[in-house]
Amino acid sequence: MTQGPDGADTHGFLGEEFLTWLWFRWEADGGEFTLPGGRVVGIALDDFLSFAAPSDDETEQTLRRGLPTRTAEARTALRQGRRLRKARMLIAEGSRQWSAVLDAPTLTLNSVKLPEDSEECESDVDRTADRSANWFALHEILQALYGQFLRERLKPDYKKTAAEEQARWMAT
Amino acid sequence: MASFRKSGGVVAFHWDGKIAHPADAAFAEALATRRFRSIENAASEEVSIGWITPADPTGETFALEDLDGGAGTWLRIRMDKKTMPKKWLQIHRDAAEKARGKKLSARERRELKDDLTEKMLPRVLPAITLVDALLFFDKQTVLLFATSKAAREAFGKLFFESFGAALERSNPLQAGLRAGLDDETRYQLERCEPVRWPNTQKGEAGVESRRRQHIDADDEATVENNA
Repeated sequence: MTQGPDGADTHGFLGEEFLTWLWFRWEADGGEFTLPGGRVVGIALDDFLSFAAPSDDETEQTLRRGLPTRTAEARTALRQGRRLRKARMLIAEGSRQWSAVLDAPTLTLNSVKLPEDSEECESDVDRTADRSANWFALHEILQALYGQFLRERLKPDYKKTAAEEQARWMAT
Repeated sequence: MASFRKSGGVVAFHWDGKIAHPADAAFAEALATRRFRSIENAASEEVSIGWITPADPTGETFALEDLDGGAGTWLRIRMDKKTMPKKWLQIHRDAAEKARGKKLSARERRELKDDLTEKMLPRVLPAITLVDALLFFDKQTVLLFATSKAAREAFGKLFFESFGAALERSNPLQAGLRAGLDDETRYQLERCEPVRWPNTQKGEAGVESRRRQHIDADDEATVENNA
């Protein structure tokens, strides 16, 4: 099993840019995304943010509880050009809602909470099937969002267009 | 059999190539080749790792219906580990040193530990860890419900030994390569560099303006050199 570290060989920075982009899209456009197949999902950041250290000898900054995205510390970190390393996200599709902490450089999901079991679940077998589908849906949603981010991020004119827009948001 | 978990951490893996289909008997046979074997009464083995099913924690049976995880196939590994209690070793070492009237050398300490391990290991009960995974055959994806390095490595090794396919952990590069991008975008992905967002606290300009400044600066340097 090949396992890259958090570093550049696995493009860990792209995970951090993805998470920061989700925050930007949430604040700029309301966090609603239309995924392939017409699925509409909503994304919001919740009560945990951790900013990557700009370099090895600088500090990582973590903000917990309340609404950390609205704090002066979070805005200062963005103005300093910092990327998000981890954040607790709320992901919603229809009546289903997931909560998870995304470790961006590795795309690992921690502290996941699945939606409530469907009311139609009457047995352990039903619950297993329902939860299994919800685990996979969460994985698929994040993959699709990441694909959407990459299509924007890897456009030749990205730095002149979307990145400029995001830079202005980060500077506010 | 209890229902599948509804919370926790998860890591995604992918494999390339063919493995047995979970609905085929060959799949269960592949699990059985690396089934869990108990070390409860073993005198020398300290670790045992192998497949079990959610319905049978002994690893003796692999009924296909026990692997039914709805949309995915429910896999489970069992990791048993016997560890000699450190305090217990320390007590014996202290007693040996007291009897000798001096400290044991490193070699003597090692010998004492080996001797005690040999005598006591059969009496030590193993700590048991169960790790679940969901395999989605059509997507060549495994979701592993453990994030520790030990669990990831143990699962990957077992998977390879059972199915002959190496698992690749998802990361931003791998996920991008599997995101259905066109060839040009994949090419850009493999070569892309981090965006250096401006530090406006220090009065830096926007991304494109900064890029422009660098280009202008390079142009000026060229002019100066030419001059």
